[in-house]
Amino acid sequence: MNSMKAIKIEPVRKELKVRLTKEAAFKLFTAEIGTWWPLPSHSVGGDDAQTCYFEGRAGGRIYEVMSDGREAEWGRVVTWEPYDRVVFTWYPGRTPDSAQEVTVTFSDFPGGTRVELVHVGWEIRGADAQTDRDGYDMGWDFVLSNYVIAAGA
Amino acid sequence: MTYKDPFNALGDPTRRKLFEQIRQGPCTVNELAESVSVSQPAVSQHLKVLREAQLVRVEKQGQRRIYHLNPDGLAEMRRYVDEMWDDALRAFAAEAEKRAKSAGEAGE
Repeated sequence: MNSMKAIKIEPVRKELKVRLTKEAAFKLFTAEIGTWWPLPSHSVGGDDAQTCYFEGRAGGRIYEVMSDGREAEWGRVVTWEPYDRVVFTWYPGRTPDSAQEVTVTFSDFPGGTRVELVHVGWEIRGADAQTDRDGYDMGWDFVLSNYVIAAGA
Repeated sequence: MTYKDPFNALGDPTRRKLFEQIRQGPCTVNELAESVSVSQPAVSQHLKVLREAQLVRVEKQGQRRIYHLNPDGLAEMRRYVDEMWDDALRAFAAEAEKRAKSAGEAGE
């Protein structure tokens, strides 16, 4: 981590409330993503994108399937904590080593569930930044560097 | 993702490395070429892509060309992501409300 950053880009934060239980909201966001994600406008395949999937486990794939059967990966699940939290990397149309990271939390709210989403990762890692001297796996170093950025906000 | 140029530009690992260098401080083309293991013409091509994606800008100092980060490029990427989640979460909320309504009608 170098400390010379003059440019700080704030994470993207979103919040909404839905009239569903935490369990139903969590399942809708993840396992049932294919029932709501706006594929024509937000996918790699555009009008060719047929459906999308969110595999419910750490390491699970998030991906779309196009009309000719081709798949395009959007990200991978980093943390799977039903029905409280899911964290995933995000790199649709790109490669995993340029991933950003999204955290979605679900909390009880009178009459339903509050859903909060935070998208971080404006630090773009260079091609050879695979592991640091201590051998930290790139994934964790990436996550840690994002927390450092957030803490310095 | 019908991603705009900034994300496509950073989809290449060499370009990402060049961008990271420039992000740490202004660099000459020579400094950048030394930092990656590709030919000078390839470096120039990569820098052109980064310029066109408005992630970097170039300043001419006599014979030298110095590359600077363009903070607006990153802001543009952020704006894109911000709008994407607005669209996706609007769709999520609509489906959630549909389910809540039909659950209500079912007398649950």
